[in-house]
Amino acid sequence: MTDTIVKLRLNQQQLELMDRTIAQGVAADRIALVRLALREYAAAHKGDAAKGGAR
Amino acid sequence: MTSRQVISEFVMEPGTGKAIELLKGQILRIEQVEGGQCADFNCFNLHDYKEFMHCGRTRTVHGFHPTTGTFMWSAPPRERAMLYILEDTVGRNDVLFPRCSAYVYEAAYGFAVHTNCHDIQAEAQREYGLTPDDVHDSFNLFMCTGVDEDGHAFMTRQTTRKGDYVDLLALMDVLAVPNVCGADVMKTSNFALKPLKLTVFAATDADLASVPRTPTLASQRTPKDFKNPAIKSDRPLRRDPAYKPEFPNTPIVVTELPIALTPEELAMFKAVKRTDIYGDDDAAALRDLLFSWWEERFLQAHAGAPSIESK
Repeated sequence: MTDTIVKLRLNQQQLELMDRTIAQGVAADRIALVRLALREYAAAHKGDAAKGGAR
Repeated sequence: MTSRQVISEFVMEPGTGKAIELLKGQILRIEQVEGGQCADFNCFNLHDYKEFMHCGRTRTVHGFHPTTGTFMWSAPPRERAMLYILEDTVGRNDVLFPRCSAYVYEAAYGFAVHTNCHDIQAEAQREYGLTPDDVHDSFNLFMCTGVDEDGHAFMTRQTTRKGDYVDLLALMDVLAVPNVCGADVMKTSNFALKPLKLTVFAATDADLASVPRTPTLASQRTPKDFKNPAIKSDRPLRRDPAYKPEFPNTPIVVTELPIALTPEELAMFKAVKRTDIYGDDDAAALRDLLFSWWEERFLQAHAGAPSIESK
């Protein structure tokens, strides 16, 4: 199966926050940060949809 | 200093208020004389009245009922802790309701004249040259309030007793202006107006040591940082023909960041993405996920409120 491309649209302030987070050693780069966010958020919220999606 | 020294005492009679110069390191005690009385409260930087207490900022940091261990903050762009609630024997204060006003009593009750917190505040502040327009949103001590299911603020009776008090420690030199709330036809003060006692103490070393440190940040700006530091001295508003907008961080520029999601990642994304808000706009849903994750992992304060822990 092929990958699906999602084109995030981010402004300079949002990118700055990402870059400062990366500078703390949280992830290697912007793409790695998004992947980390997706994994951690999905793990933390996988039951939310069944509970009505309030989050 | 190991024991508090009384600097002054004053009793506010019903229908009145009192402006008090409260210097840094002094405590203002607002105390029930009979019980059951709401106090409205304003506070200004004694050396620059344009810095004043901001209920909006205070309630985002501390909630609707600030009590012992919380601060009263000044409005943006100053955003400094002006006062610290050192002690509160009741624990039910309010930053939801505005001050009552003459309009309320005329419109709802038909009074041509009635004691009201706005006019009482204005009269007390007049001693220091302030005008009725300078009265700001009120911190309401001993006022028992909440929010009902349809989103309206409500007030109910209070259970304070004689001797109950709130101690406010000044973290800067301020003009503190409490008043006896003028509402005797509402539940605010249990349908009667009663006096309140004011005592100013010098804080002890233990009092001062109990105050948590708050941040000192570049964003806490003062007139020396303003593009226009002059206080406007007349009433009409006129356009400045030399004005050139200098909004920070503009223009806002959007950049695309392509993310290649593996089938496994796509499945994770589909399981949690907010289609109820973003429909089939996966880019917006993934951006939401990214910053929602960031808030959950890194934000120390409630969303929209500043962190007040000093690093």
